[in-house]
Amino acid sequence: MRVLFLCYRGNPFCGGQGIYLYNLTKELAKQGVEIDVLVGPPYPDPMEEWANVYRIDNLNLWSVRTRKIPYEKLVRLSSPGNFTEYAMTRFHMFPEMEAFSFRAFFALRKLLKERSYDLIHDVQCLGWGLLPMKGFGIPIVTTVHHPLTKDREADFMRNHTLWDFMTTIMFYPLNMQRFVINRLDRVITSSVEGVKELQNAFGLKPEKVSVVMNGIDIVGFQNSGGRRVDNELLFVGNTEDHKKGLRYLFEAMTMLPEKITLTIVDEGPPKRLSAFEMIQKYNIEHRVTFTGKVDMGTLVHLYSTKTLLVMSSLHEGFGLPAAEAMACGTPVVTTTAGALKEVVAHGECGLMVPPKDPVALKDAILEVLKDKKRQKDMGKKGRARAVDLFSWPVAAENTRKVYEDVIEKYRSTL
Amino acid sequence: MPRARIYGYLAVLVSLALGAVFFYYAGIEQVLPGAAVPVLSSNAYYAIAVPIGIVVLGVLGAGFWIGWTILTIKVAPPMPEIVEKNDYAKIKAFFLCLVTLGVAGLFVYGLVLKSYWAIAVPAAAVTLVLLGMVFWVGIAIITTRSTLPRVKGN
Repeated sequence: MRVLFLCYRGNPFCGGQGIYLYNLTKELAKQGVEIDVLVGPPYPDPMEEWANVYRIDNLNLWSVRTRKIPYEKLVRLSSPGNFTEYAMTRFHMFPEMEAFSFRAFFALRKLLKERSYDLIHDVQCLGWGLLPMKGFGIPIVTTVHHPLTKDREADFMRNHTLWDFMTTIMFYPLNMQRFVINRLDRVITSSVEGVKELQNAFGLKPEKVSVVMNGIDIVGFQNSGGRRVDNELLFVGNTEDHKKGLRYLFEAMTMLPEKITLTIVDEGPPKRLSAFEMIQKYNIEHRVTFTGKVDMGTLVHLYSTKTLLVMSSLHEGFGLPAAEAMACGTPVVTTTAGALKEVVAHGECGLMVPPKDPVALKDAILEVLKDKKRQKDMGKKGRARAVDLFSWPVAAENTRKVYEDVIEKYRSTL
Repeated sequence: MPRARIYGYLAVLVSLALGAVFFYYAGIEQVLPGAAVPVLSSNAYYAIAVPIGIVVLGVLGAGFWIGWTILTIKVAPPMPEIVEKNDYAKIKAFFLCLVTLGVAGLFVYGLVLKSYWAIAVPAAAVTLVLLGMVFWVGIAIITTRSTLPRVKGN
């Protein structure tokens, strides 16, 4: 079986799709699937050992003022496609996905002169360019971890002027995604909750959706053996993402004893200010530290030595930090938002509370902190659950089964 | 001079020239004393009006849709600090819907009357916005320092 992956951003530090592309293709290749990749910038770490990687260009002009666009990009605006991409960005539209999909279409047209594919796997691009690709007679599968409607809702929570709302609405290409996703052969999502969300957001029929749990690096994410400290909470995630519900975590912190501290794995001030401003408002700056961006080794060490991981999310398409913490044998306290209830087993590897409830969050944190034996027990069960459900070989095997099903159904209709 | 910079100058000059020509013949000449607004046959009028109408109604439809989306947003309540800053966005969105509907009605009425201005005004808006962007890119090319490697002969 030969599969062509499309990924508009391949870098592992861009929203998760880069990590997904890298690890899933690596495991699929081990299971005998031939992999080709069309990928946009920032480009992934080297994957040439197991895949043919074709790089697709992207001008990336969004939010760049015309006078600040680098010369080498300016001179390329003479092409109609590039000028259209530029023009869209002037109206606050985000054309990266549709631009990538059209460039991928033209690249694929060239590739098909010498190669053939059994299936195309798009990684949450859903651009217009996927529709003409259907003309090549190859089934197309896409992975959507969560619909962009969730990101838009989180942005709406920060909007208050008409201009804010207008630019948010213009930014998200939801109409394009709604139209395209309903015309693809199968949609892979990482949770049962995701099926409902896709149905609500895009009117997608549940029978077109397959659930394949996300994978994590089970070998890389295991307890580093460092001494676990008491009363130290850990939060891992983008502090500018309002879906993370950090305000509720900070409110819970104000109700917790002073000795309990919080480490946030993300940039703090001066680069990222919104979380820091809230911390100042709640007067807890002496109990909260930011690590900045960390490498995987440091992240594993943090998971392995902090008392527990907290996630105060209002929505999660999967909840990767919870799965990673569990793999490191760390208990978790999370909300029941989105897919978290499928990742964390309440009472076994952690405790779960309703979103937007700082009192319940505080109570759950205290309950886990007071019982060391329970912490160890939760850690063990968390590791076992992560190995069983979230390893990349399991994710790859389940994805391959979806491929086989899609190909069989597609060919039976020809 | 690098070829790209020549294209930059060309973009500026051509957009200015085309803009001036369009502005004069489609606008000023039609309002000069004694000017007769062009009379087109029905077929000729609608051959121009239909594509322009699709664009105009598309843009106005998008404006209405944005206003309607803001009016009907159902999400978790905004952050408390945002609630305090009441900017009457929903009231403004209501007026956005009202204005887009009104302009669309006016535009369709103009088409029914076969008014010259019903097609000239939106054509001018689209043309001048496009030429404006070409002009602005040209200016940027001219005034931005080249980062491309120098090629012999340029």
